[in-house]
Amino acid sequence: MAERGGERGRFGRGFGGRGGGGPRGDRGRGRRRPGRREEEEKWVPVTKLGRLVKDGKIKSLEQIYLHSLPIKEHQIVDTLVGPSLKDEVMKIMPVQKQTRAGQRTRFKAFVVVGDGNGHVGLGVKCSKEVATAIRGSIILAKLSVIPVRRGYWGNKIGKPHTVPCKVTGKCGSVTVRMVPAPRGAGIVAARVPKKVLQFAGIEDVFTSSRGSTKTLGNFVKATFDCLLKTYGFLTPDFWRENSFRKSPFQEYTDFLAKPIGKMLTLPEDTERIEA
Amino acid sequence: MLAGGDSLEDLKGLHISSLDGEKEQQNADDDLNGYEDADDEYDDKELEFVTLGFVEEPKSRWALLRQLFPSKAGGVPAWLDPINLPSGNSCLCDICGEPLQFLLQVYAPISEKEFTFHRMLYVFLCPSMTCLLQDQHEQWKRGPEKPSRSVKVFRCQLSLINSFYSSEPPRCDGSDKALGTEAPLCTWCGAWKGDKVCSSCRSARYCSEKHQVMHWRSGHKVECAQIAVSSLSYEPSLPNGASLVNMRKVASKSIWPEFAIIIEDECEFDREVSNADNHANLLVSREQMDETVESLLHNFEGNDERKSWATFQECVAKAPEQVLRYCRNAGSGDSEPLWPASSGRLSKADIPRCGYCGGAMCFEFQILPQLLYYFRVKNDVDSLDWATIVVYTCAASCEASLAYKEEFAWVQHSS
Repeated sequence: MAERGGERGRFGRGFGGRGGGGPRGDRGRGRRRPGRREEEEKWVPVTKLGRLVKDGKIKSLEQIYLHSLPIKEHQIVDTLVGPSLKDEVMKIMPVQKQTRAGQRTRFKAFVVVGDGNGHVGLGVKCSKEVATAIRGSIILAKLSVIPVRRGYWGNKIGKPHTVPCKVTGKCGSVTVRMVPAPRGAGIVAARVPKKVLQFAGIEDVFTSSRGSTKTLGNFVKATFDCLLKTYGFLTPDFWRENSFRKSPFQEYTDFLAKPIGKMLTLPEDTERIEA
Repeated sequence: MLAGGDSLEDLKGLHISSLDGEKEQQNADDDLNGYEDADDEYDDKELEFVTLGFVEEPKSRWALLRQLFPSKAGGVPAWLDPINLPSGNSCLCDICGEPLQFLLQVYAPISEKEFTFHRMLYVFLCPSMTCLLQDQHEQWKRGPEKPSRSVKVFRCQLSLINSFYSSEPPRCDGSDKALGTEAPLCTWCGAWKGDKVCSSCRSARYCSEKHQVMHWRSGHKVECAQIAVSSLSYEPSLPNGASLVNMRKVASKSIWPEFAIIIEDECEFDREVSNADNHANLLVSREQMDETVESLLHNFEGNDERKSWATFQECVAKAPEQVLRYCRNAGSGDSEPLWPASSGRLSKADIPRCGYCGGAMCFEFQILPQLLYYFRVKNDVDSLDWATIVVYTCAASCEASLAYKEEFAWVQHSS
């Protein structure tokens, strides 16, 4: 390791040189940051949407949902929903694969995130270490956050607490029907969908299901589908004509502000002289 | 993939031959484990030695000149061989014909060989997004005719004893001078050779007519006359343009801001075993939810696209400000780039062969989209955006008669 550096003398080692104490010193300040805290707060966006969010041009997740833009960075959801987004690890399951040298165990983590106020997401990740799996599944859960619409059963007093209307979702052979319930009814559903509905922020609902609900994968997917449909149902509130809004990429462009064509054809008014 | 959502018990009895065919012992468990294969490769390949690049403001005016062999992003390129610059069609975007814009350069010497003591890789691309989208189709082409690319990579290498630099290492204190003459560069972009001279003032040089027109319209029309008058009295532009080079001011406003690239090893960022505090409050539902969760698991793992982005995020999270990942392993097993998206990946079999020596090419480095954030690129519908740009170079780093040899760049888009 050291002799490589020695051959080059004090020429910079460039990329690809291994190790070396000298070059590291004079190239840059040590990048070791004091604690993990700082690293986690510093987010450099990787996608265009991320850059818009970091600039503060997008204020809420709903703007992103409106245009069906795919969310690829979990920090977007973190920034927009904020600290109210809670996550809960539901299960860690060891899975094994048979190899020539025995069994190779990895861990699958299952996490549900939600802010209890209309946003919920689920994530699953498998990894060699438990902590890595949990971290990865939290990220995936945040990427899959969906909005949930809530409404009233009867009198419109207080906050919405139940689904706005009867909705039904289907996946495979399982259909799940959610029916608005009066306050105090609680979530009347099977154990796992109940958890999901709690995170979504629905307080009271009656459910009814049909089909092979033993296939719980389909069961929960049908519940999710149902929740997605709450915003798809056309209620009289939406009867008013809505004008189309510009996508966030078009809305925040400075390009439209200046008539660039003019600047080129009139050289007299541009005095951009560079020495 | 599963056909519909059959329950686990049913699947234990069935032996559905999957599309892959070769996995004989597929049973129900494998549905869940099938997804692991993608993760498998990722977990195991973490042991590669990756060097990261970060951008920083240059420490001083002279720190990024060519005699100091810098790695830099934005601004103008510091050509290693200042005379035999790329010319002709290699400076232009093959799709729109505009001259390419300088993105970054990487100083990547190979110590094992004598003629690669100094080695620089330059990446140029056309700033137009429409060209980049068209380039997506072009980069797949492998036919005998050359594909029309809008992203080009050049490699230049020199041995220790050469005619441009002294064999002594640079002192890095501002007093280093470049030996010999340099070809004059375009006054508008500062990147390419300025062959064409402005006919009236004879001091402004351009690489192409387009840049001459741009410069003319944005102020040269006024100052051209002034220069022409004043140059009659004394000898104008110096043959090697050394003083101009020191100032490094170019007329174009649309080139990207200049940064130095700092090199750090990725292993320095590995956190100590992260706290297992999360463990404590996890298993809320330890009750028999095994079947539940098992079938949930494979339904909610997210599609491939999301998973690959999540994996990418985790890997980048160690050092979120990185803009470059360098990992060259010529000969001892090729290394794989870190792909953000799942579609648009280049498999090893599809890597083209070197155009000069016919040998194999290997992955050298990749450019990450954090660079766009540092360049303050706008976020309009049609502004520049990519998921990653992966550069493959000749594994033997061959010598050819050309000073600047073209290498292969692959652009992956976020869909």
